Amino acid sequence: MLQTVDVKKTMSPVGVLSPHEQRIEHGEPVGLIGDAALGKRARIHEMLKGFREQPVHLNVARARLLTESMKVSEGQPTVLRWGKALAHILAHHPIHIEGDELVVGSAGPPGRYAVVYSELVTPGRFYTQPDSLVPSESDEQLVVTEEDVAILKDEVLPYWEKNQYHGALMNGLPDDTRRLMERFFVVTATAAGRSMLAWAHDFDKVLRRGLRSIKEEAERKLSALDPFDAAAQVEMRPFFEAVVLVCDAMVGFAHRHAELARTTAADEPRAERRKELLEIAEICERVPEHPARTLHEAVQCQWFVQLVSRFEQAIGGGVSNGRIDQYLYPYYRKDIDEGRITDSDALVLLESLWIAMARSVDVYAKPGQPSLTDGFAHWEATTIGGLKPDGRDATNELSYLILRSKREFPLNYPDLSARVHARSPEAFLRAICETIKEGTGFPKLFFDDEIIPSFLMKGAEVAEANDYCVTGCTEVKMLNRDAIATGCAWVNMGAILEMALSDGCMKSYGEDRVGISTGDARAFTSFADLWNAFRAQAEDVMRHTFIQQYAADTLKSRHIAAPMFSMLHDLCMTEGKDIHAGPIDGALYLGFFDIMGFGTVIDSLAAMKKLVFEEGRLSMDELLAALDADFEGHEAVRQLCLNAPKYGNNDPYADSIGRDIEECFARLAQGHTTAFGGELDVRYVSITSHVPLGLVVAATPDGRRSGEPLSESVSPSQGVDVKGPTATLNSIASTKCAQYKERAARLLNMKLSPASVAGEEGTKKLGAMIRAVCDMKMWHIQFNIVNRETLIAAQKDPEKYRNLLVRVAGYSAYFVDLTPALQNEIIRRTEHCF
Amino acid sequence: MIDETRQSEQERGLVFNIQKFSLHDGSGIRTLVFLKGCPLACQWCSNPEGQDVSAELIYTRAQCIGLSECDACLGVCHAGAICGGGDGKVDIDRRACDACGNCAAVCPSKALEMSGEFMSVDDVIRETEEDETFYARSGGGLSVSGGEPLAQARFVKRLLAAARSRGLNTAIETSGLCSWKSLEEVVPHTDQIFYDIKCADPERHLRTTGVSNQRIVENFTRLRHDFPAVPVVVRTPVIPGVNDSEHEIQAIVDIVNEAGGASAYELLPYHGFGEPKYRKLGLAYPLEHARPPSEAVMAALTKIAAQVVLESTGV
Ligand code: SF4
Ligand code: SF4
Repeated sequence: MLQTVDVKKTMSPVGVLSPHEQRIEHGEPVGLIGDAALGKRARIHEMLKGFREQPVHLNVARARLLTESMKVSEGQPTVLRWGKALAHILAHHPIHIEGDELVVGSAGPPGRYAVVYSELVTPGRFYTQPDSLVPSESDEQLVVTEEDVAILKDEVLPYWEKNQYHGALMNGLPDDTRRLMERFFVVTATAAGRSMLAWAHDFDKVLRRGLRSIKEEAERKLSALDPFDAAAQVEMRPFFEAVVLVCDAMVGFAHRHAELARTTAADEPRAERRKELLEIAEICERVPEHPARTLHEAVQCQWFVQLVSRFEQAIGGGVSNGRIDQYLYPYYRKDIDEGRITDSDALVLLESLWIAMARSVDVYAKPGQPSLTDGFAHWEATTIGGLKPDGRDATNELSYLILRSKREFPLNYPDLSARVHARSPEAFLRAICETIKEGTGFPKLFFDDEIIPSFLMKGAEVAEANDYCVTGCTEVKMLNRDAIATGCAWVNMGAILEMALSDGCMKSYGEDRVGISTGDARAFTSFADLWNAFRAQAEDVMRHTFIQQYAADTLKSRHIAAPMFSMLHDLCMTEGKDIHAGPIDGALYLGFFDIMGFGTVIDSLAAMKKLVFEEGRLSMDELLAALDADFEGHEAVRQLCLNAPKYGNNDPYADSIGRDIEECFARLAQGHTTAFGGELDVRYVSITSHVPLGLVVAATPDGRRSGEPLSESVSPSQGVDVKGPTATLNSIASTKCAQYKERAARLLNMKLSPASVAGEEGTKKLGAMIRAVCDMKMWHIQFNIVNRETLIAAQKDPEKYRNLLVRVAGYSAYFVDLTPALQNEIIRRTEHCF
Repeated sequence: MIDETRQSEQERGLVFNIQKFSLHDGSGIRTLVFLKGCPLACQWCSNPEGQDVSAELIYTRAQCIGLSECDACLGVCHAGAICGGGDGKVDIDRRACDACGNCAAVCPSKALEMSGEFMSVDDVIRETEEDETFYARSGGGLSVSGGEPLAQARFVKRLLAAARSRGLNTAIETSGLCSWKSLEEVVPHTDQIFYDIKCADPERHLRTTGVSNQRIVENFTRLRHDFPAVPVVVRTPVIPGVNDSEHEIQAIVDIVNEAGGASAYELLPYHGFGEPKYRKLGLAYPLEHARPPSEAVMAALTKIAAQVVLESTGV
């Protein structure tokens, strides 16, 4: 059909740029935006100058100290070893105070840094060849000194080569499962690349109680242990001992900073700064040992906990900030009421925290290989809005202040998540829309109306479900009820489809069968035959996925423990058990597996159903021959495939197949219990893995050529959703099997043109759209408000556009940092402009 | 043959597009239903496929795979209207083609497609209501556009009445060129009207749209008089060389004010987006060298447009 030109479209300003695009067009340097750069926040503005040009220093100190401690604690209980190692790191890791900062402490040398986690390994984060490391944000200059390399090669790696969890996990798998894992990108295990999936600590607990109180609790529990209870003495005692050690070490770490602030003050010529440094010293003497009293103390305390967590372990996606507008609010309110601070002071403190997070960068190995998580280091999901535990709306002045900071603060940290529910105030929706319209992709939205009931189905109490926070890209957690999840597998549905069409084989892996034999597809006489083959291949892949996950869960606790993390979790403290050492009584173990290529597979099955089995316009033979030739010389077949029904257009023909796929995997999930008695849910979050996962998949019957990216997350295949965003949203809603509780996040990216949301009308309509998305019980949505032309220009002139932020998948990243394949993929995502 | 079809299809409307998520067409998030057939032939028309009163064949030549790999359409044309072009792609002889649609049914690449499909009120309502969550939150609903929707006034009346009875906000976008009876029949079922006044000078109107504006102006005046409570937004597409003078816009403002004003007056700068479609229909583009009006011109005209007397029943 011709794209009908709506006459009124001429009313929409043609060529409208988002504010973010405008600043880049004008070549504005990185800094606070507009008047925000003046007054008190000039301090932040100064700190931002040249921020993205700072080189990234590799931090090997943490790995070195960890290794030193681990070498001497061989054979002791794991949790105690990790407690001792953390204490050793906190006592000896170099510290510094940088420039005129107000919030002190860093997990690396001054400036930007990348921490080496020598206990972990993944294909993407790979430390055995220190010379080949690259930072995740491509324009950054990674500084690795010869001394760093020597330390890694001589002291660190020889120990970890023998002691890494990764090796143990691979050795612990049954042969057939390991073989499948070794074929890259069919099932991608991610367990050994991070200690756990994203998490936010219960910062509120530390702010309210202080570590001394937590230490006293541990001591009380220690002395209450029955001396004749052998299990308690062997299992629980080391845990509480580790907690005591860690509390002391953290307080000691803060005191080291207090001392440094005092000595720095002594040499400080400016009276004003001298005063500040003395205040910083007092704050570091106060927190985290004692309860915080002011916003400054609270922010510093939060950062200390987050910082120590970074020393303790690599949490996938970084340490999330939790419901920051909730737990910081009492301190903000009190400071404002007592005239101690203004909103500008509050912003300076918050933005100090954002800068502290932004200094940390992830490094990857193997440059040039498409990454599973392109262009990002970590998320630090920061949650605002939503419901209070009692069900009332939770937004407050800080929620708005944080949105304002997001509009004015130029870096992509922190990743901001806004919780929206049916009764979210209109003013909050407006502020969200104004922020989204800036065009940097923030905030991403989470819908209480879907997420809270899903927690309830899984057994949570209403109050704890209402109090969930966002962690990582689209994960959500109830901090004292959820247990951590081990990194979960990415399941390549494109590969499953290919195997169903070729008797279990894949072109990328030759004659050797990857899946199981499901027969020659040419012999399929009905769609049911095809579907049965697909389901059989899916079952086999999932069987291995579950086995892999079981091994990952059970083996991890022998290698990794996290006493600091655990002491902030109510259930760990009750049970006297480290969080990695499941099962913990009363905890909900909610893991998941991501099924990748949802749109690709729906469209492929729909095309075959219609063209081969219903209309007979193609024979299976013709189709397979075309796929075999990667459509070379078979353009008519490819065009037929491209014009078959597509997911994303509210077409029941395609969408019902999507529902069948979800049901197929949800049932498999239903039939499985994890090592710790939990469940693994169906999730659709591809980050950027749909690009490399697509590399191993041959041409598919939706018209996709061999090696092209799979569809992303729960989104339709790139560019096929031609009926606008409402149709896409309707499709997504109708592929959901709400009757299954074995469901988790569905990540949705939506690209809108700046013109479509321009002006006051645009704000209102975007707000109405978000309300409707909430009504439809979506899990998540995030917007890219950017012109296609801008992205194309950025590909041509990366220098000029180096600060252009775009939404990737669950986070915003610098467009020029992404691999060309992913850049193209983002450009091809349909831009909705009406 | 077409007349027969129309007879039997009289309870149905000839629709050439249904566009969801329209944001710039009145209140809220709307669905636009485009009806085929228009008594005007504006040189700048951006939906030329909306002009003809019957289904038409659209040919997007760039999408044709070429005869080396596909000749699906060649064998099915009973009129012999399809032949191979010099570059291996097919060409359509528009004089021979009777728009039977056989070729479009077999074309794998949708290079050949039919524009125009008869739909019942129920069909349209069903498709429109798919987005009802969005209307409920935004105050949007159904808009009927074209072509000239009032050329199918009976259908439009039934469609809007059905939409209203189901709680949808309704709107029409009209050129105003229709019998008063048609307008009178439809307006009571309409929450908002978008009314084009393209040109005040009857001579020029005739020259550039093929018809005089006399009836359009009369209908407008009567509409304001007989249905003062229905908000009317007046729109003028600003076309360089046709009506982009201050004098012209002033004259339109005068017409509007004499009739009692409007709820808004919008100037829509010309754009050339419709151009590629002319080729797909085998037509020549009448405004080949036109450029969009400059920002300065638009600013000056907008100042004049601001003189329209706005009624309080704003949309
Ligand atoms: S529409 Fe019918 S007559 Fe026209 S070209 Fe196609 S097949 Fe021939
Ligand atoms: S059927 Fe379509 S693609 Fe094939 S030759 Fe005809 S116009 Fe071209």
